[in-house]
Amino acid sequence: MFDLATVFEFTRDTVIFTVGITAVLASLGVILCSSPIYCALYLISHMICLALLFLLYNAEFLAAVQIIVYAGAVMILFLFIIALLGGQKEAQEHTFERSIAFTFIFTLLGELYLSATVGPTKQVEGKIAPELFGTAKAIGLELYSKHLVAFELASALLLVAAVGVICLAKFSFAPLKRR
Amino acid sequence: MGQEFVLLISASVFCVGACGFIIRKNPLIMFMSVELMLNSVNFLLIAYSSFLNSLDGQIFALIIMTVAAAEVVVGLAIILTIFRTRHEMDVDHINALKG
Repeated sequence: MFDLATVFEFTRDTVIFTVGITAVLASLGVILCSSPIYCALYLISHMICLALLFLLYNAEFLAAVQIIVYAGAVMILFLFIIALLGGQKEAQEHTFERSIAFTFIFTLLGELYLSATVGPTKQVEGKIAPELFGTAKAIGLELYSKHLVAFELASALLLVAAVGVICLAKFSFAPLKRR
Repeated sequence: MGQEFVLLISASVFCVGACGFIIRKNPLIMFMSVELMLNSVNFLLIAYSSFLNSLDGQIFALIIMTVAAAEVVVGLAIILTIFRTRHEMDVDHINALKG
């Protein structure tokens, strides 16, 4: 009675819809919570939702990288900094500038929605074998053959960032005097 | 799920991130909003690399993740240095560079 492919497609669509809505709600939680620790927790749940979406769109290597690098390393760094500085709540006041910001953001959102729904994009036939798509092997083959310069530049960027952070952390600066 | 849904999700998350960057005053949460924006673009690149059956989008997303990691590390170090000298975290009060 039920075609298996139809049931599979329906299940996949439902999961993508649910996880996508959850990702948007978690991102709203990031900017609406007043305590930074809750913001960090919402951001972790947003990262995990995005990793699930990456998996559903055939990017298993990048889903693993997302979990390890973002939800692991970067968010642990954020949590350490919050624990070090103390998570003070910030007072939310409503000013004129803030309503200007909301107007700007809603205009941007409306423009993006309009441009997203205006018409279909053209399908292009790629040449990656479907069983290899998104695996670490395919990413590595592509990265080390076609995109070698970007890879080397990224490694140089990471080195520069590491040296910069050591310089920032090692040399202590005298406190600034207020005028 | 069609391409419009991906575009709508990505646009929503990007706008939420931009809104958070504008309205929040804690520099940590501003950095989290920048992460939101970068992540929404990553999601769009990966979804379209799946739609178009080409791996270039995934490579681009990988490079963006590298840049974001470097940016977060340097930014948090700067926030820490400012906090060591000023003992407060409000971007409206950090005006020593103001002309």
